[in-house]
Order: sequence, then C-alpha cells, then structure tokens
Amino acid sequence: MDAYAGKIADIDLTRKKVTITATPSDWKKRYLGGRGFGARVVTDRVNPRDDPLGEKNVFVLASGPTTGTGIPLGSRYEISAKSPLNGTLMSSNSGGVFGWKLKRAGFDAVILNGKAEKPSYIYLNEGKAEIRDASPYWGKTTHEATEMILSDLGDTKAKVACIGPAGERKSLLACVINDMDRAAGRSGGGAVMGSKNVKAIVAAGDLSIGIADEERLNTVKERVREKLEKNGICQALTKYGTAVLVNIINEAGILPTRNFQSAHFADAEKVSGEALAEKYLKKNKGCYACIVRCSRVTEVDGEIHEGPEYEPLWAFTADLGINDLAFATKATWLCNKLGLDAIGTPTAIACAMEMKEKGYIRDGPQFGSAEGILDLIRQMAYREGFGAELSDGSYRFAEKHGHPELSMSVKKQDIPAYDPRGLQGHGLEYATSVRGADHVYGYMVSPEVLGAPVKLDPYTSEGKAQWTKTFQDLTAAIDASGMCLFSSFALDADDYADLISAATGMSLTGKGLLHIGERIWNLQRLHNLKAGYTKDDDTLPPRLLNEPLREGAPKGRVWQRQPLLDEYYELRGWDKNGVPTRQKLEELGLA
Amino acid sequence: MKVRVKSFAILRQFLPRETEVEIKEGALVRDLLGLLVKQAPPLAAELFNEQGELKDFVNILLNGRNIHFISGLDSPLREGDLVALFPPAGGG
Repeated sequence: MDAYAGKIADIDLTRKKVTITATPSDWKKRYLGGRGFGARVVTDRVNPRDDPLGEKNVFVLASGPTTGTGIPLGSRYEISAKSPLNGTLMSSNSGGVFGWKLKRAGFDAVILNGKAEKPSYIYLNEGKAEIRDASPYWGKTTHEATEMILSDLGDTKAKVACIGPAGERKSLLACVINDMDRAAGRSGGGAVMGSKNVKAIVAAGDLSIGIADEERLNTVKERVREKLEKNGICQALTKYGTAVLVNIINEAGILPTRNFQSAHFADAEKVSGEALAEKYLKKNKGCYACIVRCSRVTEVDGEIHEGPEYEPLWAFTADLGINDLAFATKATWLCNKLGLDAIGTPTAIACAMEMKEKGYIRDGPQFGSAEGILDLIRQMAYREGFGAELSDGSYRFAEKHGHPELSMSVKKQDIPAYDPRGLQGHGLEYATSVRGADHVYGYMVSPEVLGAPVKLDPYTSEGKAQWTKTFQDLTAAIDASGMCLFSSFALDADDYADLISAATGMSLTGKGLLHIGERIWNLQRLHNLKAGYTKDDDTLPPRLLNEPLREGAPKGRVWQRQPLLDEYYELRGWDKNGVPTRQKLEELGLA
Repeated sequence: MKVRVKSFAILRQFLPRETEVEIKEGALVRDLLGLLVKQAPPLAAELFNEQGELKDFVNILLNGRNIHFISGLDSPLREGDLVALFPPAGGG
C-alpha cells in the first residue's frame, strides 16, 4: 500500500526470458520512479561507451509513484536508455493514459535487455508479462499498429505505447507514441526499441493501486487541486493550450526563425495559438486525472487528431519560414504516425533549408515553401531518397556536408523554440542539459518570460545559475514522481513532497525531493562524462555565441557562456571541468 | 501622440487585435491602460488585482521589453511605441 504497483518486468529478449521482480525499496527511496529508475538501471547495466543500438543497451519504461493514483496531473511515464542520437543517458516523458494503465497492469517499470530474434511486443496484464509475436504489426504506423493490436486482443481498454516505421529503421529521431497521439519524443528512444525488435508495449488489466494514507492524501489533493485551479497559467493552458506561446515569444523577439537566422517571424499571427483556436480547434483534452486539459483536439480536412503543441507548431512554421497552419498541423500528425520526434524532424529540415540557401547542398527544401515537405518527412521515417540524409537529425547531416555549425544543436540534439540570445538562463539550460539541448529539463522560460514563479530579467546572468540548477533538480524529481511538469506552474517542492509522502508513506520534505532530483541529475552527468563529453560540449552553436540578434528588444545580444557556466559548476559542486567532486558524490550517495 | 496596442488570447474579447491609440504626450503605461479600461471596462478584471496592481503572470511588453524591467506601470511612452498586452500564458 505505497502507491507503487510493486513489480518490475525485467525482460531478456535474446533469451526470451521474463523475470518479474519486486520493485526495490532502495530505488523507491533514492530515485522515486520514472526518470530516476531509468537513470539507475542504465547506469547499472550499460557501459557508457557501448553502442546504443547494440544489444547491450537497455530500454526502460517506468511510471512514478503518483502515476495513476488520482493525484491531479499524476499521469506520466518516462523512457530511458543510452541515447542513440547523442550517447547521453537520455529520458523522455509522456502523458496520456498509458502510465496509469501500466500500473493497473501491475507494473512500475518494464526493462528491455538484449534483442528479440523477430518483431515482438510485450504484453503486460495483471502482474504477468509475455513476449509476443509482432510480425503483423511491423511496418505499420503507430496509429495502425495501435488499432490492430487492440482489435486483435479484443480488449479496447488496453493501452499501447509503440514505435512507427522510423523506430523500426532506427532513425535517430524516432520516438515512442502512446495512446495514438502522445509522444515520448526526444533523444531517439524509439530507435532503441526498434534496435531490440520491439514494436510495442501493451498494458492491460485492472489491478488497484494502494495508497499509504488515503485520508492525508485526500487533504493534500484538495489543497493542490485548489492551487492548480486558481493558477493563472494553468487556467491559460486550459483555455489556449501551449500554442498560445507563439505570439508572446515572437513579440519578445525570441522566436527562432529560419534556422535561428533571426528571432522574429512576421507571419506569427497566422500560425498562433489564437489562429489555431479560431480555425481548427474542436475541443481540449486531458491526460489521466488532469484538471488542466491542455491538449488540443484539432480537425483539418476532415481528419481529427491531437496537436500541434507549441514546439512542433513553431518548428514547422517559423523555423521553416512557412506560414501555413494547416500544413503544420498535418505535419505534426504525420510525425506522430511515423513515430518521429516532432521537434527534431522539422529542425533537421530547417538546417537543410539553410544549407540549400547558402549553396552548401545542390538539392533540398527551401525556406518558405511547404511543397514536398510532407513527402520529405515520410522519406525521413523510411530512410528513403533525400530524407535518408536527414533521418539521423541535423547534426549528422550538417557535418556530412561540411558545415556542422549550421546544426542548431547542443550535443547533437536540436534546440527547441526559444532563442537563448534573449534568454540567458534558458541558454544555460540548453548548454548544460544532461540529454542535450532541451526545454523541459529546466524550463527557465517560465521566470524569464512568463513570470512564474517570479519575473527574472531575461537579459542578465545574475542569479541564473542558481535558478537553473534548482529548476533542473526539481524537474528531475517531478519526472521521477510521475507528475506532469505543468503542475510546477502552481506547485512548489513542498507540495510534491506532501503528495508523495501521503501516497507512499515516505517522509519526504521539499528539500529531500530536490536532493533526489540532484542525485538523478548527477547520475546522468556521470554517464555523459564517461561517454566522452567534456566541458567543451556545455555550450551553444557558434551562431548563438557570436552573431548578435539584429532586431527587436534583444537586438545586439548573444548568449554569454561565462561567467554563467563556471558559476553553475561551482553551485553544482563540480570542479572547473564540470566533473562532480568526490564530496558531492558522497553527499548524494553516489560515491 | 500615437501608440500602437496589440492584444492577445482572451484580451481579444475586449480589445481589437491591433489598434492605434491617441494619448497625451508624456503618458505612462498606466495612463494607457486606464484609457483602454474606460473603453472596455471588463478588461480591468483581466489585468488588475484588487490592489490595482498587474495580476500575476500578466505580461506587458513595451517594444518587446517587459515593463517590469523598465519602470513597471510607470514606464513612459513615446510616439510610435508598440505595447503588447498578454494575459497569463503557459506552455513548453
């Protein structure tokens, strides 16, 4: 009765052996779940120098203690592995209802080891796990595979997390899609599943989840619910979803445009959240136990799906110089169907467009034109034609053609939808994020643009190292807990600690929660250092360091790496080269 | 003098998407908002709390810079300025 399902399915695909173990109490206490479990398992089992697409990599899918307990916004699961995109100890988070169903199926986590001989899927049902034949589903899109599996099982209540054609072909942009339209999108987790010949993980069953202290949890839940309901940003997410950011980010002069060549898109209004609401929105939708319900259900040309969220919407419009909202919506859906990262796919295309514009490649897509882009996305998933060159992301493409500086990436993972030249703190998050450039490992946009929890001047570095560290540690703990990151607009570390304590019976404080987050962060950092990353990699592409913005309020600014980076290392208890000190590791119990 | 005003999201229920406003020389952002509220009274509840301060997470950009880092509601306006009004917004 501690909010955990209590079991882990540890699957050796090579030997076709399923081992079911009790979820270790030490893992619960020190890593909570989700991203924490993933970091622990990858660290224990994978040599950081191993081939991420080889049999020795592991793939971990884990929920957290709050997942599926009825705690508002407690719906998430996380995938973890050594990333094939960049070698980091990656994790990627997703919502929907799959995480809840995983626990109803009796499991906190599934670990995939080795490689299946033939296409397989993992079937979890009320404490039992099986490796099953997935031959009929191999080659299918995520939508087709999900529908076929559910139909063949005759169980419409089962839930599916699967890869598409991109994952089968080990595209380094491949993601995992659950519940048709939700994505664990970044860092190439789908390619790891594909490399193991695993098409899907299916959760079924209806086991109950015990709570340590129901009465206390109900009291904390009520307090948390009230905070979420009263929070202006959560209310805005309900009304407009994430796409509403297009206009504010553009007006602030930090909406990356044409592969970050500028940070203002003249046609932003045409592709804004407001335009999406006016033209294509059918209704909003929530994940399990969500009271915010930020997801947008949209309809274009008679087809209905979820999305686009802000990031893919930006990438398929401003970053490509395209002002066609219907195109961006369809392109996002297509990425979901093919199992491609809906951020890294368009940003790779943006890189190709600039290479074409500069004459570094003869053929390729052109800024401002959506013509042929949907076909190009298909080619990227199937590794065909010109798309095959882009299938592994912008960095490998730009490097192959002699201009790696035009890949707007950090550690080979593309930068998302905020220009760091006008956001010094968020730039530090990009440079130091332990899975490469990323916005959800420490969302400094929140204080630097949105004003939550406080307003921080986006142009200054003062205090940003501490804020970034705190955001990163808190986020790692939230990801481990199973809560949605959007809850952090309204909740603080003590709220999460109270929820987790009441649900699990642990005695966790806000400070203790941050300590767990810091432990996870350092574990990921240690892996990355052993994989070969150094201080030199904690930086941004030369454009963002050397080419000042040419217009808008942040005109004339670049991202200033120092003294921010040194200050950050010091606050983290790392040495001048960014290596955790012995003292820090002892403090975190990682020595 | 004239300043341009843009509104976003729910504020468009009360204000045009973009409009030009005639206001006295030397006016502050506070004066401009007062003028807009006079034209559209329900706007007040969207922008201000009971103390008459800007509500949490309401952001006003003056030529792209958050007024919080200029002089808040006392930030001075100049001919041709662009004032963008944002209700709370979130995402990621």
